[in-house]
Amino acid sequence: MQQPPAPTQQAPSAPGAQPPPPAPAEQIQDAIDEATSGDRVIDTDRGKSHGLDKCPRCGSSDVHYRIESRALVCDYCRNEWNEDNAEKAFHLDTPIQELRGDHVASGAQDVQAGDSMVTIKCQGCGAEIVVKSDETLQARCHWCRQVLSINHQIPNGAVPDAVLPFTLTREQAVEQIKKFVDSRRTFANRTFVKEFVPDNVKGVYMPYMVVDGNLHTDLRGTGEITTRTYTVQRRVGKDQTVSERYWDASVHELGRSFDVLVNDLTAGSSRQYDRTDSSAATNYILDAVQPYDTREALVFNPNYLSRFTSERRDLDIDDLDERVEDKFLTIAREKARPTIAQYDRGVRWEREGVAIRGTRWITMYVPVWLYSYYQQTSKGSYVHYIAVNGRTGKTMGSVPVSHPRIFSLACAGGAVATAAAAVVGWGVFLTQGF
Amino acid sequence: MDTILAAQVLLADGGSSEGGLFALALPFVVGPAVFGAIYGGIYRYYRNKDKRFGFERETDIQVGNLQAFDHHVGDKNRQRSATMSGANQDDPLQRVGRLEVR
Repeated sequence: MQQPPAPTQQAPSAPGAQPPPPAPAEQIQDAIDEATSGDRVIDTDRGKSHGLDKCPRCGSSDVHYRIESRALVCDYCRNEWNEDNAEKAFHLDTPIQELRGDHVASGAQDVQAGDSMVTIKCQGCGAEIVVKSDETLQARCHWCRQVLSINHQIPNGAVPDAVLPFTLTREQAVEQIKKFVDSRRTFANRTFVKEFVPDNVKGVYMPYMVVDGNLHTDLRGTGEITTRTYTVQRRVGKDQTVSERYWDASVHELGRSFDVLVNDLTAGSSRQYDRTDSSAATNYILDAVQPYDTREALVFNPNYLSRFTSERRDLDIDDLDERVEDKFLTIAREKARPTIAQYDRGVRWEREGVAIRGTRWITMYVPVWLYSYYQQTSKGSYVHYIAVNGRTGKTMGSVPVSHPRIFSLACAGGAVATAAAAVVGWGVFLTQGF
Repeated sequence: MDTILAAQVLLADGGSSEGGLFALALPFVVGPAVFGAIYGGIYRYYRNKDKRFGFERETDIQVGNLQAFDHHVGDKNRQRSATMSGANQDDPLQRVGRLEVR
């Protein structure tokens, strides 16, 4: 799985010099290569210039997303509307089996460093406003007070192709987090219990790559089927025997080869919240609150982000493609399961491979209600997250533990078990002797 | 509980002298095992390090065009276990040797 190659740049030529026309054979070969590779960019840019993003009814730029209405709401005329469904708007619903080559949405292209400051000319008064796009996609004009938005894609990963707005309210999220912690209070760290304020939850949009894949997979391995089960009596003393159970098996080499169509596989694309790195924070929590109903995602509009925070994407397709390929292999292994039911002693997969015929990559912001707790440890601080899926309410978290409390209970349990085992053991010893 | 069952199996398996000695050692095996199980269980319930999104089951996936072969290559008799060694069909996250597919 590779990103489409960057367009080749022509070598600069001397002024006035005419470049030699390409030979017809080369032109034809280029056309064939382009047609057969199938690599293309899906344009998801809304085509609007930076600046005012007005209410379609009254023209106000004060717009925010209201969870209760599940719509963008104009702060002046209370008009409510939504952007179009992204899948339909960008034609992402074409059959996956027809995918050939890599199709990359314009918002999923490589992140480029150094483009975070965007200067927007206010269409209201003409002032020039600088927006630090690493941190926000909107700013208010100092002079005329209108809200200015970054309306088209910039190559720093801050503008995704689609957004999945929150449907779970803040109050519902607080309730979920309270419930989660309440069931884990007894052995929680005492400082955490004292400092726990669920109202500090923040609505965050996390960046994900959403991938469709047209694959062919091949698995090879060895499997065993039980042919006979029997019990043998074995003499272990003068007048004692034990029963031993044995299995006979037939051994088979097996192979499974099949096509797989994957729709909307998600891959986190923020380095800071990378699931594989939990050295400074419990990042695995964010992974565990999936899935998201990505088919309901809407065309991106920065107004969905107002009053929430968002995490900028900083992982490219090249950073994620090996991980996604591993996920494809995992899917293949899982889907092969029903075909090996006859191997009751199990299957040992020894070789696996996947041919990727086509992929489609888009970037999406998904909604998470996130509670963070900084635990001070002897090595510094460690961040514990409690996350609530902003669509489904699925909750997962990490609560710092009180080791002395767990130790006490474990000691008590261990002591009771030791005493019980001592009674049983002594009884057996008296019965059997040396 | 598993430890107690294992101990019973070992007691049944060994001779009378081995069984008697093992019976005396039983508290020293069961106590630490229960301690570890309680500590590990509570820690896991609070920290949830084992939780992940089961994408291989929950993603929308279609499969088709299955081609399969199953060749009998031999027999294994008098096996002591009900499962084959190295079985990994229930661990799809584990990667094995790579096969080139076209």
